[in-house]
Amino acid sequence: MNPPGSLGVLEEKEEEHLSTPILGPSIHSDNPQKRIQARRLRIAARPEGRRREVLGEYLDGKKESEEDRSKSYRQKEESRLKLAKLLLCGTELVTNIQVATDIREIHRRVEEEEIKRQRLEKLESEVKTSQDKFDEITAKWEEGKQKRIPQDLWDMLNTQQVHCAGLIEDKNKLIGELQQELKTKDDQYVKDLKKQSDDICLLLERMEEQVKNVMKTFRQELNYIEKAFEVERQELLTSTKKKWERALQAHSAKELEYLMNRIKKVEGYEKQLNKQRIWDWEDYNMIKIRLEQDVQVLEQQLQQMKATYQLNQEKLEYNCQVLKKRDEESTVIKSQQKRKINRLHDTLNNLRSKYAQQIKQFQEENQSLTSDYKRLVMQFKELQKAMRHFAVVDDKQFREIWLMNEEEAKDLMSRALDVDRIIHTHHLGLPWTAPEFWFLRNVGPLSQQPQKSATQILEEVLMQAEEEGMEETASEAESYLDLPKQISAKTTRKILMLLCDESGFLIESKLLSLLLPLEKNECYLLRLDAIFSALGIESEDDLYKLVNFFLKYRIYHSPSSQEQTSPMSALEPGEQTDLEGQEEESLVEGKPEEKEALPSPRLIHPNDVLKILEAFVMGLKKPRNSRAPVKLKYVQDNSKDSEYWEALTTVIPDTTQSLWDALYTGLEKYQSTPNCKFHPRRCSGCPRSRAGPRRAAVLGWTPVRVLVPEPPPARFAQGPAWDHSGFSRAAVIGPVEVRPLERLLVSHRHD
Amino acid sequence: MQETLATSTLSVPSRSSISTQDKFSTAGQTSSTGPRPPRHSIVPPPSKSKGWNSGTKFHQMRRTIAEDTEWSLAIVPLLTELCIQHIVKNFQNNPLLKQLLPAHQQKVLNLLSPDLPLAVTANLIDDENYWRRCCTQRWPVCHVAKHGGSWKRLFFERHLENLIKHFIPGTTDPAVILDLLPLCSNYVRRLRVDQFLPPVQLPPPPGELSDSGSDVELEEPATDHYQLRDLVAGLSHLEELDLVYGVKDCGMNFEWNLFLFTYRDCHSLAATIKACHTLKIFRLTRSKVDDDKARILIRSLLDHPALEELDLSHNLIGDRGARAAAKLLSHSHLRVLDLANNQVRAPGAQSLAHALAHNTNLTSLNLRLNCIEDEGGQALAHALQTNRCLTTLHLGGNDLSEPTATLLAQVLAVNTTLTSINLSCNHIGLDGGKQLLEGMSDNKTLLEFDLRLSDVAQESEYLIGQALCANREAARQRALNPSHFMSPVMAKGPENPAG
Repeated sequence: MNPPGSLGVLEEKEEEHLSTPILGPSIHSDNPQKRIQARRLRIAARPEGRRREVLGEYLDGKKESEEDRSKSYRQKEESRLKLAKLLLCGTELVTNIQVATDIREIHRRVEEEEIKRQRLEKLESEVKTSQDKFDEITAKWEEGKQKRIPQDLWDMLNTQQVHCAGLIEDKNKLIGELQQELKTKDDQYVKDLKKQSDDICLLLERMEEQVKNVMKTFRQELNYIEKAFEVERQELLTSTKKKWERALQAHSAKELEYLMNRIKKVEGYEKQLNKQRIWDWEDYNMIKIRLEQDVQVLEQQLQQMKATYQLNQEKLEYNCQVLKKRDEESTVIKSQQKRKINRLHDTLNNLRSKYAQQIKQFQEENQSLTSDYKRLVMQFKELQKAMRHFAVVDDKQFREIWLMNEEEAKDLMSRALDVDRIIHTHHLGLPWTAPEFWFLRNVGPLSQQPQKSATQILEEVLMQAEEEGMEETASEAESYLDLPKQISAKTTRKILMLLCDESGFLIESKLLSLLLPLEKNECYLLRLDAIFSALGIESEDDLYKLVNFFLKYRIYHSPSSQEQTSPMSALEPGEQTDLEGQEEESLVEGKPEEKEALPSPRLIHPNDVLKILEAFVMGLKKPRNSRAPVKLKYVQDNSKDSEYWEALTTVIPDTTQSLWDALYTGLEKYQSTPNCKFHPRRCSGCPRSRAGPRRAAVLGWTPVRVLVPEPPPARFAQGPAWDHSGFSRAAVIGPVEVRPLERLLVSHRHD
Repeated sequence: MQETLATSTLSVPSRSSISTQDKFSTAGQTSSTGPRPPRHSIVPPPSKSKGWNSGTKFHQMRRTIAEDTEWSLAIVPLLTELCIQHIVKNFQNNPLLKQLLPAHQQKVLNLLSPDLPLAVTANLIDDENYWRRCCTQRWPVCHVAKHGGSWKRLFFERHLENLIKHFIPGTTDPAVILDLLPLCSNYVRRLRVDQFLPPVQLPPPPGELSDSGSDVELEEPATDHYQLRDLVAGLSHLEELDLVYGVKDCGMNFEWNLFLFTYRDCHSLAATIKACHTLKIFRLTRSKVDDDKARILIRSLLDHPALEELDLSHNLIGDRGARAAAKLLSHSHLRVLDLANNQVRAPGAQSLAHALAHNTNLTSLNLRLNCIEDEGGQALAHALQTNRCLTTLHLGGNDLSEPTATLLAQVLAVNTTLTSINLSCNHIGLDGGKQLLEGMSDNKTLLEFDLRLSDVAQESEYLIGQALCANREAARQRALNPSHFMSPVMAKGPENPAG
C-alpha cells in the first residue's frame, strides 16, 4: 500500500546485501585458507553484482509501472491532501470567529483602559477642583465666624450656599455623566450580547456548513477512490483474464498432447495384454488338467480316510462306553475313598491329640528322670567320697595291720635269729653273723612307698651335687635309688642347670630380685621351682620325663653335632657306655640294662633348650588331661607282698635249719638219756600252755642245753594259702601262725 | 419541567439547541416505542394498563377459538415468562436478578422500568441497556463517549451534577446528595458542575429563578455555596472536577452577588481537592478567582500525587497567582496548565518561564488573552530553548511584538518537541513574520502555527503554512511506519543538546 516505504525497505535490504561480504573473510587475512575463501567469494560476487544491476533496473521499471498502475493510490493521496486542506481551512474558518472575538476583546480592553484612564483623570481633576472649592468654602466658614453683622453673615451664608450648590451641581453633573456612561455601557452590553449571539449563530452556521461540506467532500472523495479502485480492478481483471486464457490454451494444448501419448501407450499395452492372456489361458488349461488328476487321487484318499474314520469312530465309541463305566466305578471308589479319608482324618486327629498327651507325659517323665539322675549323680559322688574316705581308712588299717604283723614277724625273726645266734655261739661255738636281707629293713607295706615331689628330687639332686666331691659313693648309692631310670644325677643336674639358665623368662621378675642375695644352690632351687610350676611339672615322673625328653631330643635331632664332639657315641647311642658316665658304671653293677648312653648335656646347645621345652610342653599337655582321673584310682599292687612275706620265711636258710635238725636230734638223744619225763606230745592239746613249759624248760635248760630247736619262722609261710585281703588277714594270722610251727616241731620230732 | 421552563428565557443559540433536543427526543420516543408492540403480542405486558389490554385480547381469543385455525398452544405464555413478569412487577420490593439464568436476567432487565428507585438498582444492575433507557428517558441528549462509554456512569454523574446544580444551601437538605453517595461512589469519575446556587431568604425553586428573579433581593453579602468536601471524600474514583461558581441563565436578573466565590468557598474547596488523591483534572473557570484565592488553591495542590491538568481560565489571576502556578509546576506532575483569559503580566510570565525551563512534565501551556507583553514572551522563549517537554503553547492575544518573534524564531530552529504554537492576535509585524519564517525553515516538527491577525505579511504566512504542511506530511509518514523514520530521529537526538 505504501510504495515509498516498501522502496525504502528494499533499499535497506540492498544495503544489507552490500554490507554482508565485508563481514566475511578478508583477502588480507593472515590465514591462507581464509584468503582463498575470500577470493572465491569475490569471484562469486561479481555475477551477483551484475545481476543486482539488472535487478535495480527492474526495480526502477517496477516503480514506474507502479506509478502508472496505482491510480487508486494517487487518487487516495490526492483526496487525502484535499480533505486535509479542507479540514484545515474549515477549522480556520471556524476558529476565525474566536480569533476575531479575541482581537475585538483586546481592542475593547485597550479602549476600556483608555476610557478608564481618561475617566480617572477626569475624576481626579474633578476631585481636585471640588477639593479646592471645598477648601474655599471651609475657609469661608472661618470668616463667617468672625462676622458680627447678621447682614454680612446672611450674605456670606447665601454665597456659601450658592457655592455649595455649585459644588453639588458639579458632582451631580459628574454623576449624571457617569450614569449616562453606564447606560451607554448597558446598551453596549446588550449589543455585545446580541453580537455574541450573532457570533455564535455564525459559528454554528459555519460549523454546520463545515460539517456538510466535509461530509459531502468525503463522500465525493470516497466515490472517486472507489471509482479509481473499480477501474484498477477492472484493468487488473482484464489483464489477469487474458493471462488466464493464455495459460488455459497452453494447458489444453499440452493436455491434448498428453492424451495422444496416452492413447498410443494404451494401444501398446492392449496388445501386450492380449498376448499375455492367450499365454495365460494355455497355462491355465495345463494346470487345470493336472489339478483334476490330483483331485481324483485325493478323492480316493478321501474315501479311504473315510473308511478308517468309520472304523476309528466305532472303536472310539466302544472305548468311550468303557471309559464311562470306568468313570462310574471310579466315582464309586472315589466316594469310598473320601469316606475313608474322612475316617482317617478322624483317627489322625485322635492320634494327634494322643501324641500331644504322650509328649506331655514323656516330658514330665523326662523331668522326673532327670531329677532322679541328678539325685543319683549326687549320690554317686557322695558314694565316691565315701569310697575315697574308706580307701584311705583301709590303707591306714592295712598299714597298721601290716605293721603289727610285721612287728610280730620281726619279733619272731629276731627270736629265731637270737636262737640261731645262741645256738651258734653257745652250743656250737661258732661265730655268728647277722644275716643281711633287704626285707629286714622294710617297714610298712611295699605298695605304699610315698612318691616324691619334683622339688624334693631337685633338692636332693642339688644337695647331692654339692656333696659330690666328698661323699661321692654314698650319695650315688642314694641317687641310684632316687633316679632309677638310666640317668645319672650329674647329667640331670647339668640339664637342670641349663634349663635354669635358659628359661629365666618363666620366672617372675619380682622373684628374681628376691633371689639375688641367696646362695647359688638355693637360688637354683627356687628358680627351678618357679620354672617347673610354670611348665606344670609336679611329680617325680614328670621331671624324669623332662630329662629323658631332653636326652632323646638331643639324640634324634642333633646327630651331626654329636659326630663332631663325640664320634664314639654316634656309632651306637643305645649301648655305648658314656665317657662321662664312667663313674656311674661301678654303681650300676646290679642292673646292666641301665647302662645306657647318657649323652652329655653339654652337647645340648643352649639355643635348642627353648625348642625342646616347647616340644615337651606340647607333648606334656596331651597326657595331662587324662592323668587326673588315673591318679585318683588307687591301684593296690599286691604282687610284691607275697614275695615279701615269703622272703620273711627264708630268714633262716635251709642250711641252718638242717644244722638245727641235727642239733635237735643230738639234743634229743642227749635228753633222753637223763629223763624222759618231758614229752612234748603231751602238751599238744593246748599249744600255749605247752609252749610255756617248753619255753621255760628251754629257758631253764638254756644254760645247759643250748641246742633246743626253735621252730623256724620261715615255716609259717608254708601254711594254707594266705588271704591277703585286709580284714581277714589280721584275724587269721594268730592261730595259723602257731599251727605250722607245731607241725614243724612234730615233723622235726618224727624225723 | 424545569428544563423547559429554563429554556423559555434562553437566547437564540439555546433555542436552536432546543430544536435539536426536540428532534432527538422525538426520535428517541419513536425508536423506544417502535420495538414494543411485537413484544406485547408475545408476552402479556406487566403494567396494569397493558394487563387490561391482554384481558381484552383474551376475550377476543376465547371468542374466536372455534374459527381460529392458526390457534395453537404456543400462544399460551410459558411459566417462566409468567415468573419473569412477576419478578419484574415486584422488583422494587424483592429484587431478584443474580439468582436467575443469564437469559432470564436479560429478559428481566429488558422489562424493568427506568423509574425504579436508585437504592434498588444502583448496585444491583450493571446492564448498560437498562441504564441507557434510564438516561434517554431523563435527558434527550447524552454523550456516552464523554463518560468513558458507560451509560451507568453517565447516569450517575449527570444525576449527581443535577442535584448539586440545584442545591440551595440552607434550604435543601444535604442528605439529598449524601444519601446518593453510597450508591454512586463506585461509578462517578467526573463531576462537572457549572452552577452553584447561592443561599436565599425566600427560597424560590431554582427553576422559577428566571421568572421571579427580579423580586428576589439578595442582600446578604456573604453567600457561601455548597461545600463539596463530604461528597468528594465519598467518591473514591473521582478523577475530574470541573466547577463554575456562578449562576446560569439568570438573564436580566443579573446580580453581582450571584457570582461570588467567597473565601470560605475557596478554603473548603482547597481542603477538598487536597484530600482527594485520585483527582487528575481540576477545572475552576469563570469564577472570579483572584490572586489570593488562586494561591490558596494552588498551595493545597502542591505535591498532589495524581493531578495532571489544572484549568483556571477566565478568572482574575494576576502575577502573584501566576507565580504560585509556576511553583506548582515544579512541585507536581502537572501536564496541562490553562491560565487563559486572566490578568497575567510580564512578571508572572517570567516566573512561569523560569519554572518551565527545567520542567519535564508540562506538555501544554495556555496563556491566551493575558498581557504578558514582550518581556514575558522573551522569557518564555528563552525557557523553551532548554525545555524538552512542552508541545503546545498558546500565546494568543498577549500584545507580543517583534523581539519575541525573533527569539521564538531561534527557538523554532532548535526545539524538536513543540508541535503547536499559537501567536494569533499579537503585533508580530512584518519583520517578525520574516524572522519566524526563517526559524520555521529549520524546523521539522511543528505542525500548527497560528499567526492570524498578527500583522504578518501574507507571503510569509503562506510560506510558513507550506512548511507546516511538509512537517505534517513527514509526521504522518513517521506515524505510519515508525521503524523506518526512527533512526534519523534518533540520530538527530544527540545533536540537539550540543546546539
